[in-house]
Amino acid sequence: MKINTLKKRIIFTLVAFIAISCSDDFVDVTSENESADNYFNSEEEYQQALIGAYDLLQATYLNVMIGEIASDNTLAGGESANDVIGFQQIDKMSHTPVNQQLRDVWNWMFAGVNRANYILQFQDKTDFEGRSEVIAQARFLRAYYYFELVKFFGDVPLFIDKPLEFGEQFDIVRTPRAEVYDQIEADLIFAAENLPATQAQTGRITSGAANALLGKAYLYQEQFTEAAASFEKVISGPYTLAQDYESIFEPEGENGPGSVFEIQYTDKEGAGFGCLQCSEGNVAVGFNGIRNFTGPIFGSGFSFNLPVQDVVDAFSENDIRKDVAILDIDAFANATGATFIEGFEHTGYYNRKYLARQGDLNTGDANLTNPNNYRSIRFADVLLMAAEANFKKSPPDEGKAREYLNRVRVRAQLDPVDFVGSILLDQIYIDRRLELVGEGHRFFDLVRTGRAASEIDGFVAGKHELFPIPAIEIELAGNNWEQNPNY
Amino acid sequence: MKRFTCLLIVLFGGVISMYSQSISVQGTVLDENNVPLLGVNVLVKNQSRGTTTDFDGNFIIESINVGDVLQFSYIGFLPKEITVSSNQTLKIVLQTDSESLDEVVVIGYGTQQKKEITGAVSVVDSKTIEELNPVRVEQALQGRVAGVNITSTSGSPGSASNISIRGISTNGDSRPLILVDGAVIEDLSVINPNDIESISVLKDATAGIYGVRAANGVILITTKGGKKNTDLRVELDTYTGIQETSRKLPVLNATEYAVIINEAFAAGGENPPFNDFSVLGEGTDYQDEIFREAFISDVNVSVYGGGEKSTYSAGAGYLDQDGIVGGSKSNFERITGRGSFNYDILDNLKLSTTAIYTHSNRSTLPENTLGSVLFNAINMAPTIPVFDANGEFSLAEGLGNEVINPVAQVANTYNNSQVDKITGTAGLAYDFFDHFKAEARYQFNYSEVKGISFFPEVFYGSGKVFNISEDRNVVNESTNFFRDYTFDAFVSYTNSFNDVHNVTALLGTSVFKSTGDFYGFTGFNIPGNSFDNASIENASDVVDNYINVSNRIFDSRLLSYFARLQYNYDQKYLISAVIRRDGSSNFGPKNKFGYFPSASAGWVLSEEKFFENNIVNFFKIRTSFGILGNDRIGAFGYTSLLNGEGTYVFDNELFFGVAAGRLSNPELQWEEQTAFDIGIDARLFGSKLDLTVDYFQRRTDELLLVPQVSGILGVGAPGAGAPIVNAGSVENKGWEFSFTYKQLVTDDFDFNVSFNLTTLENEVLSVANENGFVPGGFFAVGQGEAPSRMEAGQPIGYFYGLKSDGIFQNASDIASAATQSNANVGDLRYVDQNGDGLIDSDDRVNIGDPIPDLTMGLNIGFNYKNFDFIAYAFASVGNDMVRAYDRNEIRTNKTSFVLNRWTGPGTTDIYPRVNIGPNSNNQFSDFYVEDASYVRLQNVQVGYSLNNATTDQLGIRKLRFYVSVNNAFTLTEYNGYDPSASTGDPIGAGIDQGFYPVPRVYSAGLNFKF
Repeated sequence: MKINTLKKRIIFTLVAFIAISCSDDFVDVTSENESADNYFNSEEEYQQALIGAYDLLQATYLNVMIGEIASDNTLAGGESANDVIGFQQIDKMSHTPVNQQLRDVWNWMFAGVNRANYILQFQDKTDFEGRSEVIAQARFLRAYYYFELVKFFGDVPLFIDKPLEFGEQFDIVRTPRAEVYDQIEADLIFAAENLPATQAQTGRITSGAANALLGKAYLYQEQFTEAAASFEKVISGPYTLAQDYESIFEPEGENGPGSVFEIQYTDKEGAGFGCLQCSEGNVAVGFNGIRNFTGPIFGSGFSFNLPVQDVVDAFSENDIRKDVAILDIDAFANATGATFIEGFEHTGYYNRKYLARQGDLNTGDANLTNPNNYRSIRFADVLLMAAEANFKKSPPDEGKAREYLNRVRVRAQLDPVDFVGSILLDQIYIDRRLELVGEGHRFFDLVRTGRAASEIDGFVAGKHELFPIPAIEIELAGNNWEQNPNY
Repeated sequence: MKRFTCLLIVLFGGVISMYSQSISVQGTVLDENNVPLLGVNVLVKNQSRGTTTDFDGNFIIESINVGDVLQFSYIGFLPKEITVSSNQTLKIVLQTDSESLDEVVVIGYGTQQKKEITGAVSVVDSKTIEELNPVRVEQALQGRVAGVNITSTSGSPGSASNISIRGISTNGDSRPLILVDGAVIEDLSVINPNDIESISVLKDATAGIYGVRAANGVILITTKGGKKNTDLRVELDTYTGIQETSRKLPVLNATEYAVIINEAFAAGGENPPFNDFSVLGEGTDYQDEIFREAFISDVNVSVYGGGEKSTYSAGAGYLDQDGIVGGSKSNFERITGRGSFNYDILDNLKLSTTAIYTHSNRSTLPENTLGSVLFNAINMAPTIPVFDANGEFSLAEGLGNEVINPVAQVANTYNNSQVDKITGTAGLAYDFFDHFKAEARYQFNYSEVKGISFFPEVFYGSGKVFNISEDRNVVNESTNFFRDYTFDAFVSYTNSFNDVHNVTALLGTSVFKSTGDFYGFTGFNIPGNSFDNASIENASDVVDNYINVSNRIFDSRLLSYFARLQYNYDQKYLISAVIRRDGSSNFGPKNKFGYFPSASAGWVLSEEKFFENNIVNFFKIRTSFGILGNDRIGAFGYTSLLNGEGTYVFDNELFFGVAAGRLSNPELQWEEQTAFDIGIDARLFGSKLDLTVDYFQRRTDELLLVPQVSGILGVGAPGAGAPIVNAGSVENKGWEFSFTYKQLVTDDFDFNVSFNLTTLENEVLSVANENGFVPGGFFAVGQGEAPSRMEAGQPIGYFYGLKSDGIFQNASDIASAATQSNANVGDLRYVDQNGDGLIDSDDRVNIGDPIPDLTMGLNIGFNYKNFDFIAYAFASVGNDMVRAYDRNEIRTNKTSFVLNRWTGPGTTDIYPRVNIGPNSNNQFSDFYVEDASYVRLQNVQVGYSLNNATTDQLGIRKLRFYVSVNNAFTLTEYNGYDPSASTGDPIGAGIDQGFYPVPRVYSAGLNFKF
């Protein structure tokens, strides 16, 4: 009996311990999420990662806004002089290396670069039919993001075919702009060669988009012959100028015949102010919106990016593009009984191309989730760039330049011009401004063509051609980079 | 051992008693509440004889002489002596002694006698909780326990409180580990305070027995159990009350508003909008429209009892509380049920079980954020009536996009959540080989949390961010499941050698696993635009909120081994040492396991011969030192996962791809705290005064930071982020002082006073990221930089902004000052801290911090005859708060201090002019930081208990009625609603966007025992 009890006791003690004494691997838990190091095992996985790389295109809404606000087309606007101080400063050319919006551009474009590079790091891991098309899209996206970066900041750190690893940011240098352009060109040439002229899914990158961006990259480098050649490939492609000009910026005009590359947005999933880059909607549209608007057709917003009288007056009386680009809010309110309030720097005009329209789902924060696609590269833009490149290339082809300009003018129901020489170039510039007002090109066009100092109040030549690299980003990368000149 | 011996003597003494002569004495022994006490030792002094009281508290002692002294003693009560004067019937009232040295205190995997404790452990017992009637457990700790600071995130029903023990020792999750009967509880709102027997707060390195979870302190809650050999006892406690707001902010009335707005427009060079003030009058104070009196009621029934071998206890409670804002739209309803059953299977094998079930329903309104109800009530223009001419809610036109009619907002808010939770424990304890005890315990929680919110189609005014357009009303439904279990097994060995060497050794292991899974859907277009129809089934365009969110499930685990050795020499010299090894699933292979040692020692000087005196009855000096951890950092920080957001649109449809999430840090480890404490416990003046003093120093290293890292790493992508790194340290040090004094003045009158005080000095020692600080918090729209920081040399979460230096009175003031953009006369003048002649963001400095330097609590109670009285106050000194509830938009209403604005040279040097043009007065500066020190009379209560004769007649044990006022008043210079409120975020606390104030409650209740 006694022995029996003793046994029981020992057994109880042992069981108590052994039963629960797990081995240490009890605390090894694996995530439901894929590990980043063990991916790209199927076509599906490449496609999934590619969607991730496209995602940052939506964050370029900010680049578009800055391209207008920095220019002579619009004022910053907003609620007050302190509302989004980064915009206010850029508008007045008083921006400094401390600017949250410029930092966002920097961060978001490099985020896109890293996501494209992640795919390209594993581009040879798994073979499947159509792989080169996936790679081509990834390389286009990398080129797109880098092109934005060189446009804004000039020399930027270039790293390819793998995401930057933690620690490497302290050693990397700013690559000369020309070398970044070389990579952009190589990526776009590859993309153009490996992508079809049309895609089954709207929103996918085509060879036309790659050639158009390639031409634009040449144009920015003043390599006009190469630019003209690239644009020629686009012009001979499947694009036409939509005849119904008014429809271009309406929902029914999305991905239309003149759409060479278009950034896709939806009103089905939003985000908050804490993560504007997370929105699947076009954030710029809500920011551009009419302050406290109640009335037909449009939705309301934050009254940023307000066209100035000067650009309104630049349209000739019979230019059908004016009423598409510019909303005269007072006239509209008088005609419809709509109400609104005047925000900061109210000009009486709104950027009608990218205004919120009624009837959108606006899921999430309404102002941050507008579905208006951004027409990143329109055929009219390509024609005007081609006109400029042909004019400027050596030897120039003014005939072609005039032909392309007139195609755009005639579509706008304007008379063709028969100008030659510098008057022709001036007209190309004029039509480029009027055709593309509100679309984020103006500031960079003025800088690129050397006209910024004369057109933009406060623009200091030798300084404002580039935006400053955010000071904090210089610090965070180990203080090894020179700031852009004169900041 | 001593006590046992003593008891034997008493018992034998009772049997042997046989003196002839003289008289006999009989009497009744009661507690302060006139409840008879069973088993009180009654001893004739110096005669080794006596007796014990019976079930009704009665005793008889025969053969006693006039002048003999009777000694009454009972565990948990102060001893008492009575000199026999005649052949009388005595009524003896014993006073409870919650500080009793013999009392055992729960210390984690065991208990210890209070006098032997070598750590800083505070105990709150059920009596305190009964006195306070807290709605939430945290309120029982507020101002009661030195070193524990409680702040409320909100006064809304069911809202959480923040508990910080000895300062804020992390920038991350600073919540202490809370165990209820050994089961981990994260949300104390599911616990009914009435079910609690005791709360132990482990404040120092002795918490080290909980290893990697101990750094924020440990709170051990024990629920009520039965008593052996006790008939069924029933207790009913209930109260009902009316709540009202404790504060209304002075805001402009319509006329004042119009004057100010006109002046601001004129100053901005625009036409004043109001032409005729005479028609405006007072207008609408939206606070009056929002605040209301609200109802609260609470009923608890509990039973307990026990036989030879078993004890049982059960309880049920129901709480219903409406909000002082929004009434039933911010309501909390809780039903709790509890049971415990213990059974001695064998003499040496004991089973214990408990179960708690909670069902709660909570409705909430938007709180403490831009566009929350109270924010809108302050900012809504007083010229706008609640309803327009058509009887519809007025629109809040022209007031900024976030300010809407708060009455309409309440009417259109539907946000409910429901919790069902079961907590269960079962344990077996087995004594063997005389000195050994093996215990195995299993504790689990299971809960389902369901939420539904509905946003009906509504138009609050043009451009309002809260507008819901036609046919786009929104319903959100979520269901979350949480499960966890803790399995503990340990063996202890207790023995005494030579009567002086007392040893207890403990060896054990513990396994913890917590999992959860989350489901949430959003749908649109509910028919009828009605909450009655609001469900995902009735919605169209349903979106699965987790389809592209990776955190649908979690699985967090802990595997631990621990050992503790306690030794004392004759209860005079005490030492204790603990080591714990913890493995946490939150850490990667490189740092999976950590060892957490701690040690403590004590010296009971009062046991020494040389110490003997009549004043100090007990004196102990003790110290502890140890290394503790904090693993509350979220999972998988050590590895790279594809849990970012990669979503794009093709063919006008959403496509969900994959993308990298946060950058990984394979070296990630727990936060590590080095905790030191030295203190004394003393009892003086016949144990009437109980005194504890502690000095503590707690340094936490390896703080987890998410530093800013270079954007070229891609951290700006949706769902991505900088890696979590161990790169900071913070130190908290301070003094704790507490005393309790109790005195029974006459049999009819006793009183007690207790006071505690904590000083705290918090300093961040290092923030080893690239820019040397971590930002946090939110001040105002359009101000990019966060107002709070964690930075070396400063308190954690201090406010970082411009320092103002009065008002520019005239042009020469401006001319002589540093260049300040848009400066004009009447504007705030800022201090050029760096002397570069330019006011900019580089001139920001420390302009305050939300951490109190000093907190205090004071409790006073007395009983006179059948009446009892309790008053309880606490204070906080040196905590600052940021006034962020003013929208500062052109036409929003303003708080009344704007009436003191600058209107011309010499009018004021504090309040800037009003102006709608560009100015820098709205920048974050010390103008917006206020001293939020306060004293609050938290509870005043008067009770009346029926006397014994009456209760005996009625056949009951106790019947007490009381009335009380909770949160009676607050003395503070702070202008906002509630100086005691805080978001609880270590960085970003103390920023007030319209905190929901803790209500004042007038209540009446009764306690009934039979």
